[in-house]
Amino acid sequence: MNIRHRPFAAAVLAAAFFFSAQAAWVPAKAALGQYLLERSWQARQAGEVAPKPWPWADTAPVGVLEIPRLGLRQLVLEGASGRNLAWGPATLTPVSGKDVILSGHRDTHFTALRDLESGDRLTLWDGARLRAYRVAWMDIVDSRYQELATRQDRDQLTLVTCYPFDAPTAGGPLRLVVTAVPIDGDEVVAVTGPRSGL
Amino acid sequence: MNDRRHPTILQRLEADSRRRHPQQYLDRYQRQGPTAGPWPDSSAGSPRRVAAHEPRNRLRWQDHVLLTLAGVFLLLLALRSVSAHAQDAAAWGLTLEAGEQARTVLALDTTLHAEVAGLVARVHVLQSFRNDGNDWVEGTYRFPLPDGAAVDRLTIQVGDRVLKGEIRERESAQRVYQQARSEGRTASLVSQERENQFSTRLANIGPGETVHVMIGFLANVEWRDGSFHLALPTTFTPRWGSERQPGSGVSAPHPQLVSLQQGNPHRLHLQVDLEAGVPLATVESLHHDVDIQALASGYQVTLLNPEERPDRTFELRWTPELGLFPESALSTWSDGDEVYAQLMLVPPRDEALRPMSREVVFVIDTSGSMQGASIEQARAALLEALEELQPGDRFNLVQFNSITEPLFAESVPVTERHLAEARAWIRKLHADGGTEMAPALRQALKQPPRQSSGSATGARAHSGNAQAGADGIRQVVFITDGSVGNERELLAEIADRLGDSRLFTVGIGSAPNGWFMRKAAEIGRGHHTHIGRLEDVAHSMSDLWAYIRLPAVSDLCIDWGVDAEYYPEVLPDLYAGQPLWVVARLPEVPEQVQLCGELNGQPWAHAAWPETQQGPETLATLWARRKVESLQDSMMFGADAAVMEQEITTVALAHGLLTPWTSLVAVDRTPARPQGAPLAGVDVPSLLPAGSTQGSAFPATATGWKTQLALSLLVLAVSGGLFLRPFGNVAWLRRGAPDAPGRPPFRSPVSWFRGLLLPRP
Repeated sequence: MNIRHRPFAAAVLAAAFFFSAQAAWVPAKAALGQYLLERSWQARQAGEVAPKPWPWADTAPVGVLEIPRLGLRQLVLEGASGRNLAWGPATLTPVSGKDVILSGHRDTHFTALRDLESGDRLTLWDGARLRAYRVAWMDIVDSRYQELATRQDRDQLTLVTCYPFDAPTAGGPLRLVVTAVPIDGDEVVAVTGPRSGL
Repeated sequence: MNDRRHPTILQRLEADSRRRHPQQYLDRYQRQGPTAGPWPDSSAGSPRRVAAHEPRNRLRWQDHVLLTLAGVFLLLLALRSVSAHAQDAAAWGLTLEAGEQARTVLALDTTLHAEVAGLVARVHVLQSFRNDGNDWVEGTYRFPLPDGAAVDRLTIQVGDRVLKGEIRERESAQRVYQQARSEGRTASLVSQERENQFSTRLANIGPGETVHVMIGFLANVEWRDGSFHLALPTTFTPRWGSERQPGSGVSAPHPQLVSLQQGNPHRLHLQVDLEAGVPLATVESLHHDVDIQALASGYQVTLLNPEERPDRTFELRWTPELGLFPESALSTWSDGDEVYAQLMLVPPRDEALRPMSREVVFVIDTSGSMQGASIEQARAALLEALEELQPGDRFNLVQFNSITEPLFAESVPVTERHLAEARAWIRKLHADGGTEMAPALRQALKQPPRQSSGSATGARAHSGNAQAGADGIRQVVFITDGSVGNERELLAEIADRLGDSRLFTVGIGSAPNGWFMRKAAEIGRGHHTHIGRLEDVAHSMSDLWAYIRLPAVSDLCIDWGVDAEYYPEVLPDLYAGQPLWVVARLPEVPEQVQLCGELNGQPWAHAAWPETQQGPETLATLWARRKVESLQDSMMFGADAAVMEQEITTVALAHGLLTPWTSLVAVDRTPARPQGAPLAGVDVPSLLPAGSTQGSAFPATATGWKTQLALSLLVLAVSGGLFLRPFGNVAWLRRGAPDAPGRPPFRSPVSWFRGLLLPRP
């Protein structure tokens, strides 16, 4: 190779390393985030006051979302900012409220939602009570024309993620909105408690 | 010579072998140099031959391919990150759907009528469309709304059918939802129309039929740089991606978006009835030629050009004429039962006001939630603010996260040395830790010791400005994203400790706790500013400073003479260049309204008389809006939600307001409809009132890391290839395989890989 082209190739190589590291960091952070959140969640269950999942965290796990059929178990964060979503699914509304909206990345934490079906069972454990839901509807919504509505007179769990799942680029306008309605009391009582430990 | 014309058998064999295994010849040639031997012309013309003749440091074709590939993939990577930030623009207008195809048609005619009453304008828009196709179609009508506006009046005429909008109590969400599902409509309650747009579905539009859509909304009049601005979108300017003009806050006109053909009757008709209440110095339109007529009640603005096209935003600007004393204007409207009033207070000219020395305390949130862009914006805002301090002012800075840390023990005069110290301190701020806002508020609102409270005067004598505490004004500028959990306690604390201070809140970040900060400023008798992006810092801060630079009337009080319910309940100060509005509901028209306060350090009193003629009906709507707002606030303060809901619904139904508990429903009002046929109701999905925090944009929920990883791995492989040269001339590939004299042994990739796998003795 020409000696003059070697710096160029080296630059391309460096850029490629950087970009691939950047890309690989996303799923790594997503997995690491869940691990750290799980630790922090366990510490909180053990009675520790406001344990930080990572030293500079300004957010904390507020609940556990489980979809048994898909084997999905995710620690949920407070506040659906871009920064939080990198670590885990996050809430747009208080998790203790009636109308709970969770959002997560379609290509990290919420990948499993592509296999979700109507009637699937979801549970949300917020440290105080375990609520069970059943997937009622799934909609594809255009975020250019629609926005999320929160209504306190409505008892339901809403999951939001990007759509389509295989879109090559981020930032598309479509969202998958999964609406789950509570399963009545009896079924909830049957559940003894949340799984604990990692 | 002879050899060339008649190649020997050996030469032919060699040429054949060279054709099949070019690389080894190439390598030999490169090792031996160009003089190694004659290359028969019979194989000339092969690109490999040509490459072989080139000097060693020339790029081979493989390198070209690899470099090109690397470039292309890098470009794709770059484009990927660009496209991740580019959102598709929404389409405004009437979108007709026939089967799979959808097309947006332009309005034939757009008529705009705006009636300005103080700080709001009641706007009616009438647009007409025609279905030029040959099919019956369905359509969606979308209209971009000015910031903070929500459609509350609606009439649609399709052919001879008439749909009228009515404000109705909302049914239980679940029930509406179930019904919407059973009718096949999707997600009607999970998601809602986003703010700043109105849309409604229209069915069964016949071929050649004309559709008229009339919508009404309240648009806010903006106050900026000493004059009022009203901006009305007349066409389908995409809201997303439309560039905002720096400092103006309104979308720039987009003339290129409407591809009108000559001779098409796409016309704009427009009229603005301007009832300013006070004498105006100027009225002007920024983008259109207009005719302005002075009437007894105000001004009437119409377009001069009857051929005007609806291709750019209409903007009107008017400036009040200021006198030597504060002026007032009181207008009323009565529905026969109750009287609704609006009082506007106009400050005097700057020259008539005596500037007072002031003490400014900046409080900055450095908790963890401010990390990233937010703390950068806050730092920029603070540095900007320091520039505005005048000699003679005093200032201090306080940062808080888990702990509260002031820069100076108490406020210091504005000197170069103090400013430099402050700048250095600001640059070092970083966001970390929790949010303990109460101690910071206490610290900031801590009153400087008064002269009367003798014992503490020593410290003030030391600061060398004995006047400022007693005579000057105290302004607290609070910069935060407001992510706190104990809003109520904090607001109570502010009310308790405010004293003579005034609290100005600056909201930072894309999603600050707007409610808390607006309320804090309201209770703090100050003003709320929001900074969304780093680019906005400079002009948002200069807006704030322009606002608070010169107080005119402070400690304002008001006496309506009758039992009045008025908003804002906590009256802010009147500032130079900033008119003040109060709306009220009264049992009867007041004889006069008494105002009092402090002007230039002296007590000030003023009386306002109601104008004789009837004001606009909008006054009632204005009052009702503020009433609903205050009821919602009391819900936040812990009032019984069910009772408040009931009250809000009552007020909203009486005044035709959109709230979370009332919605606009389009009802079929076709006159010729046969008796007894069921009413076809369509729930119009633009439901929430202006400024409501009930809706939120969908978060971005994709990272696209897979594509990025795939692309960057490709680049990695390709650029790695540039170094490794797997085609043969890499020294370590040949190492350990002794050459036949003068000729490297050819190894196929298969044997090469096998060689890697087999242990070598």
